[in-house]
Amino acid sequence: MAEHGGCFPPMDLFRSEPMHLVQVIIPIESARLTVSYLGDIGLIQFKDLNSEKSPFQRTYAGQIKRCAELARKLRFFKDQMSKADIKLSAKSEAKAEFNLDDLEVKLGDLEAELTEINGNNEKLQRSYNELVEYKLVLQKAGEFFKVAQSRAAAQQAEVSSEQAAEESLETPLLKDQESTTVDQGKQVKLGFLTGLVPKGRSMAFERILFRATRGNVFLRQSSVDEAVIDPSSGEKVEKNVFVVFFSGERAKSKILKICEAFGANRYPFAEDLSKQAQMIIEVSRRISELKTTIDAGLLHRANLLETIGQQYEQWSDLVRKEKSIYHTLNMLSIDVTKKCLVAEGWSPVFATQQIQDALKLATIDSKSQVGAIFQVLHTKELPPTYFRTNKFTESFQTIVDAYGVAKYQEANPGVYTVVTFPFLFAVMFGDWGHGICILLACLFLIFKEKKYSSQKLGDIMEMTFGGRYVILLMALFSIYTGLIYNEFFSVPFELFSPSAYACRDDACSEATTIGLIKTRDTYPFGVDPAWHGSRSELPFLNSLKMKMSILIGVAQMNLGIILSFFNALYFRNPVNVWFQFIPQMIFLNGLFGYLSLLIIVKWCTGSKADLYHVMIYMFLSPTDDLGENQLFANQKTVQLVLLLLSLIAVPWMLLPKPFILKAQHNSRHQGQSYTPLEGTEESLQVETAHDSHGHEEFEFSEVFVHQLIHTIEFVLGAVSNTASYLRLWALSLAHSELSTVFYEKVLLLAWGYNNVIILIIGGIVFIFATVGVLLVMETLSAFLHALRLHWVEFQNKFYEGDGYKFAPFSFALLGDEDE
Amino acid sequence: MGFILTTLIFLVIGIIACFCARICCNKGPSANLFHLTLVITATVCCWMMWAIVYLAQMNPLIVPILSEGE
Repeated sequence: MAEHGGCFPPMDLFRSEPMHLVQVIIPIESARLTVSYLGDIGLIQFKDLNSEKSPFQRTYAGQIKRCAELARKLRFFKDQMSKADIKLSAKSEAKAEFNLDDLEVKLGDLEAELTEINGNNEKLQRSYNELVEYKLVLQKAGEFFKVAQSRAAAQQAEVSSEQAAEESLETPLLKDQESTTVDQGKQVKLGFLTGLVPKGRSMAFERILFRATRGNVFLRQSSVDEAVIDPSSGEKVEKNVFVVFFSGERAKSKILKICEAFGANRYPFAEDLSKQAQMIIEVSRRISELKTTIDAGLLHRANLLETIGQQYEQWSDLVRKEKSIYHTLNMLSIDVTKKCLVAEGWSPVFATQQIQDALKLATIDSKSQVGAIFQVLHTKELPPTYFRTNKFTESFQTIVDAYGVAKYQEANPGVYTVVTFPFLFAVMFGDWGHGICILLACLFLIFKEKKYSSQKLGDIMEMTFGGRYVILLMALFSIYTGLIYNEFFSVPFELFSPSAYACRDDACSEATTIGLIKTRDTYPFGVDPAWHGSRSELPFLNSLKMKMSILIGVAQMNLGIILSFFNALYFRNPVNVWFQFIPQMIFLNGLFGYLSLLIIVKWCTGSKADLYHVMIYMFLSPTDDLGENQLFANQKTVQLVLLLLSLIAVPWMLLPKPFILKAQHNSRHQGQSYTPLEGTEESLQVETAHDSHGHEEFEFSEVFVHQLIHTIEFVLGAVSNTASYLRLWALSLAHSELSTVFYEKVLLLAWGYNNVIILIIGGIVFIFATVGVLLVMETLSAFLHALRLHWVEFQNKFYEGDGYKFAPFSFALLGDEDE
Repeated sequence: MGFILTTLIFLVIGIIACFCARICCNKGPSANLFHLTLVITATVCCWMMWAIVYLAQMNPLIVPILSEGE
């Protein structure tokens, strides 16, 4: 495209895919099929052309209601299936073309059948429970009467032999019965009720009965051993069988009401022994009959649910698809006169051929007379951002997107994040023993990739699995930096050559006072193993790591500014190149690039110059003589020049740009009154300044303040961002110290006792501490800080990140939405 | 001397890695450029870290002072 600088060859993922706004005019009869095929491709993001209409006013609202009804039925089935513990079978590959109408009828039938079965089942179950309770009543109450009658007979014999009856609970009963059998004169007719009352309420039941009838009842309760299922509530309740004897109608009505209030179920009971036996046999027969009926019913239901379960996934997919198709159709504007629908949407340029093929296929399949029309519209709107990522780059792009989605076609930091993010993590994590542990863990995840990607995982597991490639790179780089820091669970090894340091004399007398000296060549790869455990380890490592952090930081920030240069080139923005990129480079490198240079020179020459002093007095008294802080010839002049350049760079960043933008704006709108009205057919005008957002207003004060803020942010940020990189030093120090503590104070301590049990305990504590603190907590910590360094210090040099993500209408993405 | 030698080794390893990437996944010019960028960035990062640690130890200003009971 002519508007953009094409001087560099294109690179995957560096800039988002070129998109264009397309318009598709679809005849109504092939609308549904067309949208369905476009959903299969999944590369168009439809614009909602009916946004003023409420959901109920839209054309296909009725269809959506149908789909929602089907979804409800499917949910009902799922509920029933989970209650009956029937598993859903996996989706079959058979692509049966179901009609929505057929499906509706089928699901309606199934639902009716299922509800009917459920209702019948419930009724039968209730009868069954009642019969079981009745049987219990018959058994237990029968016992009362049998015992009572036998006692009555015994009492009669005793009374007739005029012996005092024993005080027992049966006594009053016997007396009454006695009175009915012996004393015919006083015919006190006793009535009785039998039933079941919940055990928890039995005491209250008894008390209230007693009070209500003024003590003129006799209640006998006997508990049932196992809980019975209450017919009305369907739950298992512990119950007591009760028999209550009363006299008189009033008492009877009171007792009935009390029974009802306590939920006590009453059952009829015959006094006659033979009748009782008959009833028990009858009830047992009916119970076994009901049981077989209920079992048959459950079996039928299970079969039905099985058949549903086989097709459930397919149906549910279909319903979801249809619903989404109708939602999309609702977004298209209907052109009633021409009997067609107009769709507008964003799609990547590379997908043009695919879309046109799909449209042709839909026309053929729906046997429509007219084909769909496809055309590209020209617009000034900002297109969505679309990156074609694979499973490896996707996680890195997610990290970048979490901060902000890239603006359309600006440089994507994700390209460099793939390497620099794990690298910065590793600088803070450096231990090759821990790195190997993490590598093994994530290799496990990667080998089980296929299995886990189709499963539903928990939240944390999902995040870990999604980031498996990030973790893989983090582990690999950690092994590398671990080798450089020479730490294997904090233990150094002489892997590459013997240590460069040795004692000054054979007796090593001054090793603990003045120290060793460097006798051989520098240790070729990494930190010399002699340092670990020495008293001067921390001063040396601190100095090394701090300087390393500064060097890495300045490098990354320079990369950021260079990316802003590429952006300025791509968007044909010379103002940004001359009045932003160049002064920024001069400022940052004049000060902190110079500091990096001093660090390297000091290392190479072994000078004893104090760099703090040099840098601070470069500002405070630049004309002073450097004395012993001199690192190279003419340093004073160089410093003066750099200082002046940096000072000039600040107004250079601040002042020219707003004025130039104002001049550009004025020159563009010189002949404004004579230009024709802008329509959507106008070719895309690239606004040379990002600031004017297509609106023709230009507030000079606003632009100036914006530039002022930008300049201050950069200048102050140069210092603060550089210092922020020192967290690389801080975290790597923390990691190394923790690792040392766990090794020396746990493992070595346990080793020192020469006791197997203590060794095992020590080993276990060491493993738990390493995994919990170092492998989990430190990983998260270093991950977070590396993330922050990328998001803030790296990206604020060039990234705008105010775009919006491409969200195409795609069936493949539907599954993630619903869950 | 050791510095330059090892820098050359890093360079050679980087070039070999580029070739490996080109051979293993040759998916069109833009994808190739992307892989090349990744390999170069990784090589530069690794070299930089090694070089910093090496340079810092070339002319040390302090030496290891062993602790008591070593």
